[in-house]
Amino acid sequence: MSIAVSLKKKLKYFDLDISFSCAKKNMVVMIGPSGGGKTTIIRMLAGLEKPKEGKIVFGDEVWFDSLRHVNVPPQKRRLGYVFQDYTLFPHLNLYENATFAAVDKKEVDELFELFKIGHLKKRRPQMVSGGERQRCAICQALARHPRILLLDEPFSALDAITRRGLREELKSLKGRMSFPIIYVTHDITEALYLADELLPVVDGKIDNQWLQRMITREPSQEVALRAAREPRLTLVY
Amino acid sequence: MDFLALYVTLKLALITTVLLMVIAAPVAYALAYYRFAGKSFLEALIYLPMALPPTVIGFYLIIIMGPKGFVGKTWEMLTGGSLLFTFIGITVASIIYSIPFAVQPMKAAFAKIDRRLLESAYVLGLSRRAAFFRVIIPNSVNGIAAAAILVFLHSIGAFGVLLMVGGSIPGETKVASIAIYEAVEMMNYEVAGMIALSFIPISYAFLLLINKLNERTRI
Amino acid sequence: MKKSNFKQVITKILLTVIGVAFFAGLSGQAFAEEKISVAVAANFISAFKDMAADFETKTKIKVEGTFSSTGNLYSQIINGAPYDLLLSADEERPAKLNKDGLADNPFIYARGQAILWSANKDFCKAKTWQDALKNEKVKKIAIANTQTAPYGAAAKKALEKVGMWDGLQTKLVNAQDIAQSFQYASTSAVDSGFCAMSATVSAEGKKGCFYLVSEAPEIIQSACILKRTTNRAAVQKFIEFLNSPAAKDIKVKYGYR
Repeated sequence: MSIAVSLKKKLKYFDLDISFSCAKKNMVVMIGPSGGGKTTIIRMLAGLEKPKEGKIVFGDEVWFDSLRHVNVPPQKRRLGYVFQDYTLFPHLNLYENATFAAVDKKEVDELFELFKIGHLKKRRPQMVSGGERQRCAICQALARHPRILLLDEPFSALDAITRRGLREELKSLKGRMSFPIIYVTHDITEALYLADELLPVVDGKIDNQWLQRMITREPSQEVALRAAREPRLTLVY
Repeated sequence: MDFLALYVTLKLALITTVLLMVIAAPVAYALAYYRFAGKSFLEALIYLPMALPPTVIGFYLIIIMGPKGFVGKTWEMLTGGSLLFTFIGITVASIIYSIPFAVQPMKAAFAKIDRRLLESAYVLGLSRRAAFFRVIIPNSVNGIAAAAILVFLHSIGAFGVLLMVGGSIPGETKVASIAIYEAVEMMNYEVAGMIALSFIPISYAFLLLINKLNERTRI
Repeated sequence: MKKSNFKQVITKILLTVIGVAFFAGLSGQAFAEEKISVAVAANFISAFKDMAADFETKTKIKVEGTFSSTGNLYSQIINGAPYDLLLSADEERPAKLNKDGLADNPFIYARGQAILWSANKDFCKAKTWQDALKNEKVKKIAIANTQTAPYGAAAKKALEKVGMWDGLQTKLVNAQDIAQSFQYASTSAVDSGFCAMSATVSAEGKKGCFYLVSEAPEIIQSACILKRTTNRAAVQKFIEFLNSPAAKDIKVKYGYR
């Protein structure tokens, strides 16, 4: 199942106007400067916010159509969503969190092994590290057999090493899944590593020129200095 | 020692607490999560019993619960009996008297929950109702418990309101606070003293409990 | 510099105001009118107000009344409340105060009558008050607390005398004092209430109807000067007034003897 999206919404500093699609088994990565509307787009896909105008069609299901007043609530869209933080319920332990909406509890055990957090099953979210929490959040989302997976800067709050590790796991996971994945990040390197398709979003609109500028511009003095200070990180992946 | 009066007091406080928690929960939910026209007016109205002297509340309750009042007349139509001077009548009065003490802490506890937790629940497939019971309530237990205890304590202390609308009928509407008052009037100071003394351990125990609950949330 | 100047000015003004007020108060004391403070039982309120007004016009002595149930006033007094005179609704409490050395010898100042009052004029269509109470339409009857209010106790005696006390238990609503009993009856919260005769004279009272409960014993209301008083002469004048013909007229007007 693939998803076709066209959205318009008036935001505080700019108007959001964007159309794109994502085929199944594909990962579309939305990149762009902070505050550009990426999170709003993802939230509209999830049904947590309403576009002023537009249409969201998943396969042959219409999730949103402003002309015909269709708005399927998030509960019915059956998607997976990993926030940057706070996806896990603090009153449940990691295992209970992952099985919260799971289709098959046994799968959860497998997922936990896959993401190497099997030994933390009984711990509460407050008692594990950020990276472990995000792993659990991904398990929670996957356990639901989502038809599409949305990730909003899931690793931004983590340290560079953990981030790199999780990125690799996600990429290998993607190969095995058959649903579309939409991933939001502001880290270009991460985007280049993960994406099948890149979607640069600047001030609420797709701006392919921006990406070109980012990649091919002459490294500024600042970038050159940084490269000198942190050689390994700038050449990451 | 008026055990009957103490029994009526405890029975009233318990029933008031249970009923009020159920009534106040959706109100607190609406106030915590929704914005709507006239919200601040509604909130002020709900908190009114906290600002009014109990005798004022009692005064108006007699009027509306009496045979000529809106509530009293409806009750008479439905049941054929009067609402005033009955246990049900003082339960209604007690509920109105304590509404703000239930709504306020619950609303605060609900509002403290991160909105993203709820969104996560919706995305995972929970309806709003299911999310209320499986996400909101487990994460606001302390606030809910504090509300319940406050309502209970406030109810056992009700005097002015019940003096006006109760009719001091032994076993039905004569609560301990009124019994103390009447014992003093009758110059039965020993009885008054004993009833008064029994309030202290009960109230103190519950206050300790509130403290313990507050400490736990800080972790 | 400006700030401390401002503070100084404010302080000076405040001190001046306080000083003036203090001295005004002091001098006020010297020229203060004489006044006495009386504790009055709830049923006697209206009669007392008329008497106080008359007394003040005649003697220029101010009379302050505090109205409450007899029991409440009594406990205030034994806890040191600074009244000069107690006008009780019973004989028992003034006698007790006298015995405990807190008051002078008590004396009777009024005799009251218990009545059965209703806001509903149809209520009084029956021949006697017993018949009126037997009507099925009568669901609730107010009576002042029989253990703490003398009028309530008198009403109870009347009911016992005609053998209706036990039968009416489920219909009785206990009011804290005679005033609350009348309040319940006049707001129709109850179908009728045992009150004091004085209630019938008020504007509210005239709107309803009543029966004289002759089976109820006369309520003998006695009074006593409290030893705590600092205005003995003024209180004596008031007591003389209580026994004067003018006061008698007021008492009769309100149903006392």
